[in-house]
Amino acid sequence: MARRTSNDPQAIANVLRLIPAKWLVGMLVALVLYFFLQPKLNAWFGWNLPSIAAMAGNETPAKPASPKSASTKSASTKSASPKPAQPKAAQPELASTNPAQPKSAQPKTASTKPSAEPTKSPVTAKTQQQDDSKYRILKPLGRDRYESPAGLIYAPGSEEGHRLSHIARHLEDQPDRPGSHGVFDGDMAAFLVAIDDAYKRARGHAKGTKSRLEDGMTVYEAPFDQTIGYLGGTEGARKKNPKLKKLRLVLRDRNLITAFPIQ
Amino acid sequence: MAKPFLIYVKQCPVCGDGLCRVRVCHDLQRGRLTGCILCDECETVWTDPTLKQKFLRGKVEGTPCCPDCGQPLWEPNSHWADIPEVCLLGWYDSVQIVRKENRDQIV
Repeated sequence: MARRTSNDPQAIANVLRLIPAKWLVGMLVALVLYFFLQPKLNAWFGWNLPSIAAMAGNETPAKPASPKSASTKSASTKSASPKPAQPKAAQPELASTNPAQPKSAQPKTASTKPSAEPTKSPVTAKTQQQDDSKYRILKPLGRDRYESPAGLIYAPGSEEGHRLSHIARHLEDQPDRPGSHGVFDGDMAAFLVAIDDAYKRARGHAKGTKSRLEDGMTVYEAPFDQTIGYLGGTEGARKKNPKLKKLRLVLRDRNLITAFPIQ
Repeated sequence: MAKPFLIYVKQCPVCGDGLCRVRVCHDLQRGRLTGCILCDECETVWTDPTLKQKFLRGKVEGTPCCPDCGQPLWEPNSHWADIPEVCLLGWYDSVQIVRKENRDQIV
């Protein structure tokens, strides 16, 4: 049996006949305004307003602006922005910040090299795939900032452009990287949950957790019952990638700077 | 373009996972370049490769800043130093240089 729904054209026409023309025009203007403003409002304030198509049931609801896309945007801005102009009269002087170090008067020729190194495409691709699950965990605060259920803030920053992109580096091994590189054994969503768990326990001074202050930063460590990752990098390869059961978080206030598994 | 070498002083004593790398900042107003050491993981800044003196105050809150001009070190006017720049800073003996493998070039 066919069920009559509110989308039935006949029913809509009947409703429209009952509404005064003034109201109809007003509603139409509001609809057009909403159509143009909805994506912009979502981008500006990190809201999750559905598009008209989504409301009509033809499309999935709109997602907030992703940090991935934002980082890509910032990266492209970086590459597109003009390189700093060299002073014409005097070549720039290379100066160390060490007062004891004599400042070289030699002209610098290599400063026009591009500064941005390319991001690791496998990591970014992996992050993009996991965007959906990530947004089920994080609450958008606007301006590309996100808050976890435990109250950690993931904001723009770091070399990668966003803290989420930065911690995504720890979802894969970097076998050529000197020293140790903690690798989380799981996807981004699981990593975010583990970070929140570690943060809550470390803040509550739970058994086995550690915390220390480092000049405005807080470093938390929390053990886990099960293996959460392995040691990567050249050091990890040398030790045959031992399993790791601890997570270290570096925070500035509630802002997460980095997080990675440790020995 | 990726730089073929990774230049670092040592593993970060603060976070234990990052590398203390040489970052160069181009101060446009004064027309000079400044070197400092920046951990690529926890973003701690030191004024020189001895890692004795941290730089904590910058012009922008919550981001690592140049100890000389105070500008953020992730802005386009800063970059990881290359070997000639490390030599000019007089820090060549304090750093370790690793050749980065570019897998795209392996045929």
